[in-house]
Amino acid sequence: MKKLGLGFYIALTAALLAWGFYQAIYVAPDEQTMHEVQRIFYYHVPSAMTAFLFFAISLAGSIGFLVLRRNRPEQAQVADAWAVAGAEVGVVFCTVVLITGPLWGHRVWWGGGDWGNGSWWTWDARLTTTLVLWLLYVSYLLLRRFAAGAQMQTLAAVLGVFAALDVPIVYMSTRWWRTQHPAPVFGGGPDSGIKDPAMLHAFGWNIAAWLAWGLLILALRYRLERQHQQLIARQAQAALDEI
Amino acid sequence: MDQRAILDHQFTVAAYAVTWAIQLGYLLWLGLKWRAQKRETSRTARGPR
Repeated sequence: MKKLGLGFYIALTAALLAWGFYQAIYVAPDEQTMHEVQRIFYYHVPSAMTAFLFFAISLAGSIGFLVLRRNRPEQAQVADAWAVAGAEVGVVFCTVVLITGPLWGHRVWWGGGDWGNGSWWTWDARLTTTLVLWLLYVSYLLLRRFAAGAQMQTLAAVLGVFAALDVPIVYMSTRWWRTQHPAPVFGGGPDSGIKDPAMLHAFGWNIAAWLAWGLLILALRYRLERQHQQLIARQAQAALDEI
Repeated sequence: MDQRAILDHQFTVAAYAVTWAIQLGYLLWLGLKWRAQKRETSRTARGPR
């Protein structure tokens, strides 16, 4: 039954991704000023939204671990597994954002520069805070990978909480500072929002598709982390039994 | 098709391809990690030789 449910979810995710791709490439019209390259939007923005959601899950997991670690160690391990899964999958989506954004910006911001001409990056507030966010979570993952000892999870959880503080700064950066990056699609002023229904549908389908995909790999990563924790506990028990 | 449209198309294809490469690459990495961990688990279950 569980396998059937998983199979159905994978099929649904694949269908959503295919439908989202079809909507973005074949159904949504060309934007008037940016033309075809604006279609990067349908992958770029949903990836950013999904990354934010997963960093929020990581934050909740980190706080949960810090709260539960003394009195409920087993539940603290569950929270820690969510924290690392959220951070890692969030970094994957954030990487997509940091690569697709400059590809789009290179064409639109620098007068239609081709592959060799024009800039790929600007130290704009939105771009810089997003890069800092990515670096913070990469350092979180590196800490988990290379630090050892009983304090590692606690240190990682504290870093996870501090890293998440950058998420609202990234979100608000286009409101707080004058940036080259466009204003938010929604809630960015009286002219914000998507006017064309076909564009709005393509955007909505791609949000659903990438969210479904993200949740699938998040669940996989969580399961992997729980298995890893159980393996470590078993190995520690075996080492104690040998003494 | 003018030069601008060709470049727009190339950049769009590149962005979509990079997105899929990153996501599928990560899924592959998870799969490899899963397999390695499964082996390690069965080795631990058998106990030291």
